[in-house]
Amino acid sequence: MPDSAVARSHRSLLSRINLEIREHAPVPQQVALLAAGLLLGLLVSALILVSVGVSVSALLNEFVISIVTSSRSMGNVLDRAAPLVIVGLSAAIAFKTRFWNIGIEGQVIFGAIGATLVANADIGPPELRLFTMGAAAMLAGMIWIALPLYLRLRLRINEIISTLLMNYIALNFLLHLLYGPWKDPVTAFPNSKIYEHVERLGSTGWLNISTSVAIAMVFVVIVAWIFAASRFGFLMKFVYANPAMARAIGVNVAVLTILAVLASGALSGLAGFAISAGIDNRMTQSFFVGYGFSGILIGFLARNNPIAVVFFAFLISALMVAGQSLQIFYQIPFSIVQLIQATIVICVAASEFLIRHRIRFVR
Amino acid sequence: MEFLINWLSNVPQSAVPFALAALGLIVCERSGVLNLGAEGYLLVGANAGAGAMLTTGSPMFAFVLAALAGGALSLLFALLVINLRMNQVISGLTIVFFAQGLTSLIAARNGWTSRSFSGLDQLDFGLLTDIPVLGPILFNQDAIVYLTVALFAGAVFVFKRTEIGLQIRAVGENPAAADSTGVSVSLYRYLAVVSGAMLIGLAGGYLSVGVSKIWVDDMAGGRGWIAIALMIFARWQFWPALAGAVLFGCIEALIPRVAAVGLQVPQYFVLMLPYVATLCAMVWVSLDRTRHSGVPAALGEPYVREERR
Repeated sequence: MPDSAVARSHRSLLSRINLEIREHAPVPQQVALLAAGLLLGLLVSALILVSVGVSVSALLNEFVISIVTSSRSMGNVLDRAAPLVIVGLSAAIAFKTRFWNIGIEGQVIFGAIGATLVANADIGPPELRLFTMGAAAMLAGMIWIALPLYLRLRLRINEIISTLLMNYIALNFLLHLLYGPWKDPVTAFPNSKIYEHVERLGSTGWLNISTSVAIAMVFVVIVAWIFAASRFGFLMKFVYANPAMARAIGVNVAVLTILAVLASGALSGLAGFAISAGIDNRMTQSFFVGYGFSGILIGFLARNNPIAVVFFAFLISALMVAGQSLQIFYQIPFSIVQLIQATIVICVAASEFLIRHRIRFVR
Repeated sequence: MEFLINWLSNVPQSAVPFALAALGLIVCERSGVLNLGAEGYLLVGANAGAGAMLTTGSPMFAFVLAALAGGALSLLFALLVINLRMNQVISGLTIVFFAQGLTSLIAARNGWTSRSFSGLDQLDFGLLTDIPVLGPILFNQDAIVYLTVALFAGAVFVFKRTEIGLQIRAVGENPAAADSTGVSVSLYRYLAVVSGAMLIGLAGGYLSVGVSKIWVDDMAGGRGWIAIALMIFARWQFWPALAGAVLFGCIEALIPRVAAVGLQVPQYFVLMLPYVATLCAMVWVSLDRTRHSGVPAALGEPYVREERR
């Protein structure tokens, strides 16, 4: 049908909406649209909170004022942001090779198990204890992602489902340890015995910044360098854009995927260490709750950009800390945090639609 | 023998949530929309079902509400993936996350958590129920068990024999071709997504109303993901999915009975069983390279028409 005929057939309508796909929206416009989506998400979230009975002034107080003015709240936000940054990086690295690592939660659990194993058995000299724990956590995270990785590369088994199933297996293994061999010998509560002082990630002694935050920042720099400047990162861009093409011009896609996915598992494991040694000082039943999904959402929101990961991790962390005080002071279940995160992602995704499409009203 | 009858007569009840969820997933995915939100639809269905039972006590109303809750949540999902063309993996996960938050919030606000209620009655087929061995296994179940089989038959009929089924398959295999013959891709995808989610919602409703008779947060416990694996295992075909669901029903019904057999396995290792079995099933399917995987050709791809000015 020629264009004129289409135009004629629509003449009766006053105007119609036409969608055009655009490859490259101007960057300032992209940022503006994303920011608008983010704001909309926060606004909707605020409406949800008000609807469950939080007053507007309380909302401002918990989310903005107390975090900005109280150094303790700020410290809490930073401490929680550290593992979130690390899981966000983990998601970003895996996504860059088109491997959906939905099993971050399981790897976080195994990371903490690895670190706690070292702490319980007092492996290595005390001066190197934290280092050993971190290395064990990374190794455990890698081990936990190795099977889905193998299954995907060898048997083409969908990694979304296999990594997710591994989460449930990891959780049951954790519960087995905490209700069985690793139960706290002093209190008989289902958590591991408290870490000794040499096994805790304390403050760096500089501006009250904790060691876990410092570790997270180091990995942000490393990952940013890998993505932006290394040969590995360059090849990853190739694989992300078009795996078949990358293979055709001689990039070893399998090796690249293996390296990226193992790095992702290692980072998730490290996040488990950062939570157990940086926040709780022991391994508990639910220390990992939400970190897996949050990591995926942070990676998505940040569009796999390590610097943006820091921003969104900070945002989600503030949300988690505020969610905790809402739980204590307003009896609002902590799950509201999940609801808000999902709302933000939905709104940002809606704004992405406007970045990728131009809407025209045609007469 | 008594153990066997006792075990097998519990299988249908354990199998129904898997079966209905896999059925809903197949209906949805045959239209080309990747649905990772099953766990979320199960949760809203279970939540709505439990709420209805606690407030009205009518199972019939509870199941209708459970299906509607699944359908309502899927409208949001459909808007994201069909209209806004959002990444279908992220959308599905977001729906799960959204549902987890929403259901525990609703349950906590209304005080539904951990409050038990009366469940469903078994149907009595008189003489048939009294048949030894087969009677308790096949003829002493609740109405939803039989409804599930009927729904499978209905879905097979719709997909094989009706225009609507044909169009849904067409938009799932080759949306561009379907579009060029005047079939609205969005319309049929909406239809498939929403009706599929209603089936999964019903599965969730059965989980709370028919099986556990109580609401606890996150009570779907990964069954949505297992149902997705079941669908892959069944190559997106209806009857094999039902068979797979029965198999998983056997495994799940075995879990509380492992100790009774005299096996000394730590309980958390027993609880891993469904997930390990699912992984094994996926490996087993993938080893058989001779058969077509059955995945709808356009699965996961948002449909974008070449747009005119």
